[in-house]
Amino acid sequence: MRYEIRVAGAMSEVMLDEGFPELESFVIASQTVLVGRIVDEAHLYGLLTRFQNLGLRVTELRQLPD
Amino acid sequence: MPADPQDLPVPAGRSGPARFREDPVLTGRLRAARVPATYVRRAGLAERLTQGVRDHPLVLVNGPAGAGKTLLVSDWARSRGAPDQPAWLTVEAEDNAPGAFWTAIRQALDQAGLLAPETAGAPLPDPTARPAARLAAELAARRSPVVVVLDEFERIVDPDTTAELHLLLRHADGKLRLVLVGRNEPLLPLHRYRAADEITEIRAADLAFSAEETAELLERHGLALSADGARVLTERTQGWAAGLRLWALAAADAPDCEQYLKEFEAGHSTIADFLLAEVLATQPAETRQLLLRTSILDRIHPALADALTGRRDAERILDGLARTNTFVSWVNGSWYRQHPLFAEILQVHLRAGDPSLPSELHLTAAHWLHRAGLLDDALRHAVAADAWEQAAEWFVEDLAVEQFFTPAGTGVSAALLARMPAGVRGPSAELVRAARALAADDLEAGTAHLDRLAATTAGLPDNTPLKLGAAFLRLVAARLNGSADAAEEAAETVERLRRRLPADRWNEHPLLTVRLLTDLAAARLWAGNLASARATLLAALARADGAEQRDRSEPLALLALVESLTGPTGRAEARARQAVVEVEQARPGGRPAIAHLVLAQVAVERGDLAAARLSARHAVESGADRCRDPLQAVITAVVRSRLALRHGNPRQALSVLGSAEHPGAAEDPSRWARGLTALAASEALVVAGDTRAAVEVLSDGESGGVDHALATARARLAGGDLKAAVRALPDLAAGAPAITTRALLVRAEVRAADGDEHRAQRLVARALTTARPDRLRGPFLEAGP
Repeated sequence: MRYEIRVAGAMSEVMLDEGFPELESFVIASQTVLVGRIVDEAHLYGLLTRFQNLGLRVTELRQLPD
Repeated sequence: MPADPQDLPVPAGRSGPARFREDPVLTGRLRAARVPATYVRRAGLAERLTQGVRDHPLVLVNGPAGAGKTLLVSDWARSRGAPDQPAWLTVEAEDNAPGAFWTAIRQALDQAGLLAPETAGAPLPDPTARPAARLAAELAARRSPVVVVLDEFERIVDPDTTAELHLLLRHADGKLRLVLVGRNEPLLPLHRYRAADEITEIRAADLAFSAEETAELLERHGLALSADGARVLTERTQGWAAGLRLWALAAADAPDCEQYLKEFEAGHSTIADFLLAEVLATQPAETRQLLLRTSILDRIHPALADALTGRRDAERILDGLARTNTFVSWVNGSWYRQHPLFAEILQVHLRAGDPSLPSELHLTAAHWLHRAGLLDDALRHAVAADAWEQAAEWFVEDLAVEQFFTPAGTGVSAALLARMPAGVRGPSAELVRAARALAADDLEAGTAHLDRLAATTAGLPDNTPLKLGAAFLRLVAARLNGSADAAEEAAETVERLRRRLPADRWNEHPLLTVRLLTDLAAARLWAGNLASARATLLAALARADGAEQRDRSEPLALLALVESLTGPTGRAEARARQAVVEVEQARPGGRPAIAHLVLAQVAVERGDLAAARLSARHAVESGADRCRDPLQAVITAVVRSRLALRHGNPRQALSVLGSAEHPGAAEDPSRWARGLTALAASEALVVAGDTRAAVEVLSDGESGGVDHALATARARLAGGDLKAAVRALPDLAAGAPAITTRALLVRAEVRAADGDEHRAQRLVARALTTARPDRLRGPFLEAGP
């Protein structure tokens, strides 16, 4: 399952590399777009918790066609 | 050199025997957080909390990390007068299971003084009830409602626990006001609370700072920003408390805060991440290093921080940071903590600096905490550093194997090691695997690990705790397979080894002795040595009484069993009830199967079949029929057989005894166990009309006991052989009241059959006199009219 997750604001390099090493990312219109393969639901919910724990606001989450 | 933790004033009780949990008072989880001087009091929200707990059973405070939930509720809680002060619990990850959760809630209510005297006059709630139902009954008996705050409630995701919490709210008769504080909505059926107007909700939008509140916050931080600036900042941060606080810290170091705001407003970066990096950059190098390195800790002790930084200035730095409310706040004693949101972000920065550093720091912290006697914390960090072999060594060295077997629930350290991956080397890891298997009643795997351990340590230098742990596990295994000899041998080995340890080291683990004596007693009981089993159980109880965390339910239950086999029914009942009560206190929701079996047996003797059925059901709910303890398996079979017989079903009574043929993990029943099942079988055969078989079955088992003599007499009487019945009857003075009553009734029946109604009636009268003190109706019911 490939997902696209959008977070409000531009995330720092440090946060992207170390906080979410499994996702590719780019910044567009004051949003950080993270894209990557999500193994299963446990991974998905774990990822959402990670955003929450780091004080990041998820504004959009969608599954991409494979 | 960092300070040696041995020199530290580690608070009393920390290194004591109660190691199942961190001292809750010390970790500060039972009280509201301290509110810093820079806190902006939020009167509107406080008023909504006050009204909420007045009008509604449930108050929700939900918002993202750093929204200011904890401080809002803490400030409100601390400002309430003494009688209204709420009980407080900061939920931890380990609380996400019914047992631990209800124990923690009771601790919180207890700490707030909300459980005790007011309910004392009320009728005692049913001790066998579920913990939520029991707590509901206790609260319902109060005159005024109690307020309970559960902070960081997002950690409770176990559906059973929330379902029970829902029940508690339903049944507390309006005497409970629950304030749930957390990042996520709880799993309660919120729509029903909303529909019934039973809920007050404070959500992210309510928690967001207004421009006026932002201005006040900045003022408290000594910053002069225009009203317009405050509005802009509020918009950019969306009133997020953590963002505002970080901005205030960052702006304090900027030459012109209006200018700094303009730059911040123009940027698009995520708020916390960006500002935290800014604030961090303005700190002196040693402060930066300290903050990054201590971000891996749940709680920070200055000396521990020194150990992580290799410096000696942590106390000064932490004190300064706490005073200015920068990232760190004071918890309790000499401990500090970082704000959880900032700690998470700092950990990311720490990894970015050096990916291998977190692991090294975890290991350093683990060693420091281990030297400080904080085993649970030490193991947490050892596990985080992936140092499983070290973790297992400390666990064994600390004689903590008992944690796998305590009825109060698996200890924190044992729970950590329960997740040990396969392939960890070393004898201690092997011992942990054996303990894990035996705790799960897997006798075969447990024995295999113990054998492998013995083979691999044969040539190695002596390691007393390791050998002692192994002997302890041999005893557990011996009880499971019903080997009294092996149990005695293992107990002797433990006794020999513990003399080699310093006395206080052994005395720190009273529960190890309790468990040891209890298993030994069970093995002795199984071998038919009732008197020595009884003495061993009394010794176990005496040792448990001296322990900080009493753990008496199992020895009490076994003692009840011994009493029910030898003594007055009333005494057995009292012990069994005490066991049920105590297991509830130690582990709410836990049910000691043996105690319920004894209560079922007592109810049968009293002729109260409904109560007997209920107790038997409680026993089955506590896993009586799945248990691999042979003793329990046999008692379960016997009690079920008697119940079936009293319900007029002798065939079923006989067939359930079949499960006692291969009891639990043991291959065969002991001679003593055969004697018990033979008695039950004989009674069933008499009712089935097969009196010859009823006599024969008794000749197979262990003979000579008064109960066997009585059973033989009854079988003979049923067969019409009056002379043989009289010959078989036991000496009337010898038995417990239940035996004597039955013997008198057999005599009465013999007299009645002889036509001597007068003497028969006198014997019945004597039987009634004997039975009365213990209210034994059972013997009369089974004898018939």
